[in-house]
Amino acid sequence: MTPESLFMGAMILLFLSATLTMIRMLLGPTIPDRVVALDALTTTTAGAMVLYGVITEQAVIIDVALVYAVLSYIATLYIARYLVKRRVGLA
Amino acid sequence: MNFENFFWILQIFIAIGLIGSSIAAIRFKNLIAAVIAMAVFSLALSVEFYVLQAPDVAIAEAGVGAGLTTAMYLLAIRNTTDEEVVE
Repeated sequence: MTPESLFMGAMILLFLSATLTMIRMLLGPTIPDRVVALDALTTTTAGAMVLYGVITEQAVIIDVALVYAVLSYIATLYIARYLVKRRVGLA
Repeated sequence: MNFENFFWILQIFIAIGLIGSSIAAIRFKNLIAAVIAMAVFSLALSVEFYVLQAPDVAIAEAGVGAGLTTAMYLLAIRNTTDEEVVE
């Protein structure tokens, strides 16, 4: 068993947990359930992106995970702000 | 596990995510839930670009899909109502 196949198995497990989180996103009864599911899905997939960059030995791919982590934080912040204050933006 | 099998397993997972989230984005009646489903769709599309060896397209898709369209849809929903109106 090589280290690459260990990384591949870990990434498949991450995708399996992302699928379970997506089921919660699909049938979550309330909106906050779905928002938390989206945040967990994004974090899981950012970890899977870093693992894919390690497997294929491409350092460019890790930049995508960084950009996606920052932007999904902003998106979750926007949705939460809308749900609490019914307002979007800085003011 | 060699890389070919791993690639096809990954493609199956991404296809399930794309189809499920797009059907959900069409059929949800609450518009906030539809916006969340669109965010999941853009996440899966970004991973797909990235497995097909196009990291720059994936960066553009991540920026537009996660940040810009979510904020703009929420701005549009704020000025209207968040339930779908059936005539």
